[in-house]
Amino acid sequence: MSFVADRRRATELRLVIFAGLITAGAYTLASLGKNSVIPPRILPFLAVLLLVLVSAHIAVRLLAPGADATLLPVAAMLNGLGYVMIARLSERLAGLQTTWTLIGIIAFTATLIVVRRVNDLARFKWTFFFFGAGLLLLPMVPGLGFSSGGARIWVSVGPINFQPGEFAKIALALFFAAYLAENRELIKNGTWRVGRFLLPEPRDLLPLLAAWGFSVVLMVGQKDLGSSLLFFTLFIVMVWIATEKAAFMAIGLGLFAMSATAAYFLFDHVQTRVSIWLDPWQSYRGRGYQIAQSMFALGSGGLGGTGLGLGDPTRIPEAKNDFIFAAIGEELGLFGATAILIAFLLIIGAGLRTAMRAKRDFAKLLAIGLTTIVGVQAFIIIGGVIRVVPLTGITLPFVSYGGSSLVANYVLLALLLRISDNTAKRLGEAPDQMSAVERFEAARARRRNARTGVTE
Amino acid sequence: MNRRIGKLALVLFALYIVLFVQLNLIQVGRKDTLDNDSRNTRQTVQDFNDPRGDIVTSDGVVIATSVASEPGDDFDWQRTYPNGDTYTSITGYFTFGFGATGVEKVENDVLAGRTTAQQITGIGSLFSGRDVTGDVEVTVDSRIQEAAKSALAGREGTVVVLEPATGAVKAMYSWPTYDTNLVATHDADEAKAVFDYLDAAPGKPLLVNAYQERYMPGSTFKIITTAAALDSGLVDDTTVWAEESEFLPPQTIDPIQNYGGKVCGGDLVEVFRRSCNTPFARMAIDLGPDIMVSAAERFGIGDKMPIDLPAPAASFFGDVDYFEQNVPLLGIGGFGQGNTTMVPLHMAMVAASVANGGVMMKPHVVAATFDQDGRTLRRTAPTAWRTTMTPTTAAKLDGLMREVANTGTASCCLRLSNGVRAAAKTGTAQLNMAGEPERSHAWIVAYAPAEAPRYAIVVMLKGTTAEISEGTGGTLAGPIASRVLDVALGL
Repeated sequence: MSFVADRRRATELRLVIFAGLITAGAYTLASLGKNSVIPPRILPFLAVLLLVLVSAHIAVRLLAPGADATLLPVAAMLNGLGYVMIARLSERLAGLQTTWTLIGIIAFTATLIVVRRVNDLARFKWTFFFFGAGLLLLPMVPGLGFSSGGARIWVSVGPINFQPGEFAKIALALFFAAYLAENRELIKNGTWRVGRFLLPEPRDLLPLLAAWGFSVVLMVGQKDLGSSLLFFTLFIVMVWIATEKAAFMAIGLGLFAMSATAAYFLFDHVQTRVSIWLDPWQSYRGRGYQIAQSMFALGSGGLGGTGLGLGDPTRIPEAKNDFIFAAIGEELGLFGATAILIAFLLIIGAGLRTAMRAKRDFAKLLAIGLTTIVGVQAFIIIGGVIRVVPLTGITLPFVSYGGSSLVANYVLLALLLRISDNTAKRLGEAPDQMSAVERFEAARARRRNARTGVTE
Repeated sequence: MNRRIGKLALVLFALYIVLFVQLNLIQVGRKDTLDNDSRNTRQTVQDFNDPRGDIVTSDGVVIATSVASEPGDDFDWQRTYPNGDTYTSITGYFTFGFGATGVEKVENDVLAGRTTAQQITGIGSLFSGRDVTGDVEVTVDSRIQEAAKSALAGREGTVVVLEPATGAVKAMYSWPTYDTNLVATHDADEAKAVFDYLDAAPGKPLLVNAYQERYMPGSTFKIITTAAALDSGLVDDTTVWAEESEFLPPQTIDPIQNYGGKVCGGDLVEVFRRSCNTPFARMAIDLGPDIMVSAAERFGIGDKMPIDLPAPAASFFGDVDYFEQNVPLLGIGGFGQGNTTMVPLHMAMVAASVANGGVMMKPHVVAATFDQDGRTLRRTAPTAWRTTMTPTTAAKLDGLMREVANTGTASCCLRLSNGVRAAAKTGTAQLNMAGEPERSHAWIVAYAPAEAPRYAIVVMLKGTTAEISEGTGGTLAGPIASRVLDVALGL
């Protein structure tokens, strides 16, 4: 019997190999451009690359055979192009990024192993809430958290530094999805009469508002405007879709306008960001330098780019991180930059399709939340780099250098795949049989039972 | 909820469209602005680490090239100009931090190997590591240029030699000038010191006098007045001007005098040959502001010089309203005094257009550009710029100018070897007010051989020294023109 799932996996395998070849090709070109030599270990590089990618594919085949076919290959391509750009900027960071990618794939596989039915996660909503809140608070703990680049979003444990906020956003998306799935009818059909309006009972709304206010206050406290904006958007989008009421969108946007205005007048760093956004040239020798260099980089890239390894992206401060999109725009031009935009649109498309197909509210809302995180985060940082919105330091998912971001995004990706796979099983597109892991555990249980003499 | 998800998809899609539009605006729309921003050293740094093609004269002399930098230099290549200051007005400079001028600027893409044609043919050399820089051949001939330099001999002024039929610039030398190697140094402080010095120096060495400045033309301007008068039919072979030493135009009590207060008159050949002033003042006033101004416009006065070099100047005559209010100044303008100013190159073009039957060609210094394999990328085709006068008028003016060379104001001093005959017009632009010490620019425009013109020339000496100011255009500029034309015609 042939399943849609089989065709999906075949497509995924081809696309994943294609992403690997693109990455290896780009890596070779960057080396040729920069040092005029073909990388000496290009064949082992390609072999390891394909091994990692195919392993991830096999993990999906075994653990989530019905899942969407495009998410993993697109993420792999973004990860690969990001890696090429990072390697071209700094060889030392390239090694670290390789390690993080491997850990990311392991986390991806582990997530698929641990989470069998995504709906089971709804039960742990308060765990996720406190876990997420705790992660967000962590950088504020003296001796543990520290600031870098003006934002106190880092935590140092032994030799490892990480940004807990990257994981917090997934935990909070899980919480929002679970809470809203459970209470959306109550929130939607208000019973609390205030004058002419019917509002949801404060009791039903309060935890949500608290969750949102909590994270926003925290973000402002940590001066992490990008994450603050991201949480805000996530919150508004999820409430709006769960309640199906435009009023919530309006209230959300009103709250946003209010807090943005307040933040502008209260905080110097917000004012600075806005003035740099409006006119980076005025403070060219100061805060505007980074954006100005980003503009120069994009301009010199033009339509077709300077070519990999042939540009000068090291002039952009933080090119490996927040500004990696400008570096890509310089060396791959408008064409390459547009390819990145399209890749994110593909992820958004696949994520929202997953949401539409999902049956249970929780899975639906979770898919929306996770997709919104990736889509909006990419928009915020790309928009910041090219002056569509004020710049707020945040990573470009899958592309920027950084372990926390990469691992968190692979976990996020695994959750999306899991939702998609659950739906496929329900619709009969994938065999509703035990997965490899389930078969393994069942076998182990049988052996244990045989040993202890229990019969089934 | 699915309807809302659809809406969310639309919103996110719209956000990415905004990103795409902004990317286009930056990477395509504002690319040139960003690339040319003076704070953007990105391109310059790359240019200085890449080789750059040569600039060579029409006779094969390399006048700008790149050599490997000395060890320890910040950049891989050093731009050098083997002939010092001889070709500054042609090549311009290519500096780190101070931009580029001259051919270095206008043909930058060819020299750096950045034209589309070079990029396409250069794809094959991506792997061989061979450079794709192009070379530029200029129209200038090194022998004529050297002759111009040595004939000018350090006097302030300019020499320009053109081919009348094509507009090709065969020589263009101005003094004061400077050695471009001094500013091409990678030592930014040193380059800045040189620039500061040159910027403050008298005579504006940073501007090429030949095409970036304008000066009062004196009697050389009578070519334009005569062309207007002949074309309009105001003057013909039978017209005779009475002998007079001065002429009182309307609106004033201050009469216009002939040079040195001499009595002067006769037919057109005579007044042109002797360069009387009053007949040309009368001509300009009789023609009136409309015809004189439109004649000036026909010669391209008021427009920037159409030369293929950066920041050319425009000559100036005046507008109709102004001359209607100031009739005497129209008369004075008729013989190239007053507010009239001409770019020296432009005066050479005026003479060349007479030699070319009334067609003024666009002057150009770039003859051709070549890619790394010597294939021609582009060859400059001679292009007409203006029709300045009818062929009949041009033939008449040719006769008048030959008479100037044979028996007139240039006969003393414009003498070519081997009996070659020339056509010319001299000019002495008086800069001082009555009663002040004499100060004047000395001019000559000429072309030779008169029968089949090969070269047109302008020599202009600025009235900055007593020696120049006391002489007339013919005696001072004539010998310089002779020496340069002799060299050119001997080739």
